[in-house]
Amino acid sequence: MSVPYAVGEGYARKVMDEVSKSEVVPLGIDPVLANLDPDQGRPRQVITTEGLNLKFSETTILSGVTMGFDRGTITALIGPTGSGKSTFLRTLNRMNDKVFGFRHEGDVTLDGESIWAPQQDLLTIRRRVGMLFQRPNPFPMSIRDNVVAGAKAHGIARGKQLDVVAEMRLREVGLWDAVKDRLGDSPYRLSGGQQQLLCLARALAVGPEVLLLDEPTSALDPISTEAVESLLREMTPALTLIVVTHNLGQARRISDQTMFFFDGHLVEHGATAELFTSPRERDTDRYVNGLMG
Amino acid sequence: MSIVTQSYPKTNLRRARSVFYRGFSLLALALVAGPAIWLVAGVVVEAVPHWQWSVLTTLSQGTSGGLENALLGTLVLMAGVLVLAGGVGVLTGIYLSELVRPRRNGAPGGGVLRIAVDVLSGFPSIVLGYVGYVALCVGLHWGYSLLAALIILSLMVVPYIAKSTESALRQVPTNYREGAEALGMPVGYALRRVVIKSALPGIVTGLLIALAVAGGETAPLLYTAGASNNLPTFAFLHQPISYLTYYVWTDYNQPTPQAHYVSYDAALILIVLVLLLLVSARLIVARTQRHAESTR
Repeated sequence: MSVPYAVGEGYARKVMDEVSKSEVVPLGIDPVLANLDPDQGRPRQVITTEGLNLKFSETTILSGVTMGFDRGTITALIGPTGSGKSTFLRTLNRMNDKVFGFRHEGDVTLDGESIWAPQQDLLTIRRRVGMLFQRPNPFPMSIRDNVVAGAKAHGIARGKQLDVVAEMRLREVGLWDAVKDRLGDSPYRLSGGQQQLLCLARALAVGPEVLLLDEPTSALDPISTEAVESLLREMTPALTLIVVTHNLGQARRISDQTMFFFDGHLVEHGATAELFTSPRERDTDRYVNGLMG
Repeated sequence: MSIVTQSYPKTNLRRARSVFYRGFSLLALALVAGPAIWLVAGVVVEAVPHWQWSVLTTLSQGTSGGLENALLGTLVLMAGVLVLAGGVGVLTGIYLSELVRPRRNGAPGGGVLRIAVDVLSGFPSIVLGYVGYVALCVGLHWGYSLLAALIILSLMVVPYIAKSTESALRQVPTNYREGAEALGMPVGYALRRVVIKSALPGIVTGLLIALAVAGGETAPLLYTAGASNNLPTFAFLHQPISYLTYYVWTDYNQPTPQAHYVSYDAALILIVLVLLLLVSARLIVARTQRHAESTR
């Protein structure tokens, strides 16, 4: 079985300090640990977009987005409804490709390679770039089968190993104690918050590098929201997270970077603290201060 | 407070309307349930007083004797239809729902196939039966045979199965598909493990109706299966095969009471067969849907 990403987390933090100083993840701080680090020698920005224009038939949804997502950070995507942020998010793992009339100009790269390059395997991209949806969407199978559904499909584990994967991922999301005695039950008996955690465990079980979250807590109560948020914080820097949210407080609490979308444009992006306290653009200022929404 | 408890001016009208629709729904229910109950009761009342279990274990002698050959023949036909029409129909439904490219305006595609399925479902069974007789039994020199009967019966019920499979698949929540897609599941894998699983009740219902129709069909079988007082032999060609509806139809037209008994016995066996089919399908569905959203 592959090394779970949790190994060397402390080390990963150390690496992140180095990362912030250089363009490429450095090698050889500790040779043993360095070999365990799955990100060694990879570009610092895990996903970049270059002049990305997105269209559905003739309607332009988003234009001219150039952006890089640093490995191991959380980026919040904020903006009013219809500003194109969800479409942008769904483009990053090619979920829009099959939508009728979808067209793109410009490029998105994953580890320096275009996600639309012919040698890219769509299923591998989706494994590496996972997704969590607004509404919890467990599959109609038992709780245990839900967690391992993706891992099984990708052949990451099989047989008894699947039980190990299920337990490990359920522990990671803090759901294990609540469900360990009813792994064979229907997931729809869980609360909404627990269902979302289950979906998170399912997404983690395929070992993604990037996780796209489309308003992951907007259907949840405050306590579940807090649980999910603290989990997201814990998952960095091992994972890179990109979160669409309508909750500005949430963007402030969890993200390192924030992108503000408005009317099909990326108006402004930067460090979250900066963007909220001293926005450069007037629209950003109005949005983050609640004058527009 | 008085405002709240006072009766609203239109309350009486609303009540009257409610009573009207309720009554109308009950009437509709009675119109559907009544004939069904009447038919079953009629058959039971006629068949049960003369019922002998030996009917199930003795061969027919035309207007008398047992129905072992007919029961087994019908079961063989049903099994054959399940395999042949079930396979073709379910795959057609999957193709129409999952694999066909949608048209430019977003409407479902697969034009020619869709029309073909609709046309096929509109054919009167007697026409299909005669086509089978001319093309297969005579044209290909198959004679009255199991294969000819199976092909014609399957042609008849494939549209039911395809349509119900397609609509069951279309009702699978987008959530499931997107979830599977986002995990990077291959399309076929997601279809088998996630999508079809949640569409299963609809698919099974379609298969069930198809089987019931196949079991209860008479006209096309008269032309393609012929009639036989012997047990089915599993020879696909040149051997006529027996089936329950043949005895329901021919023996009822005979003058002797003995023949009438056989006719009602055959009808009763057929009804019980269909009921068993319904119950077992329910059990299968309940078993596979124990994790479904609707059963929480």
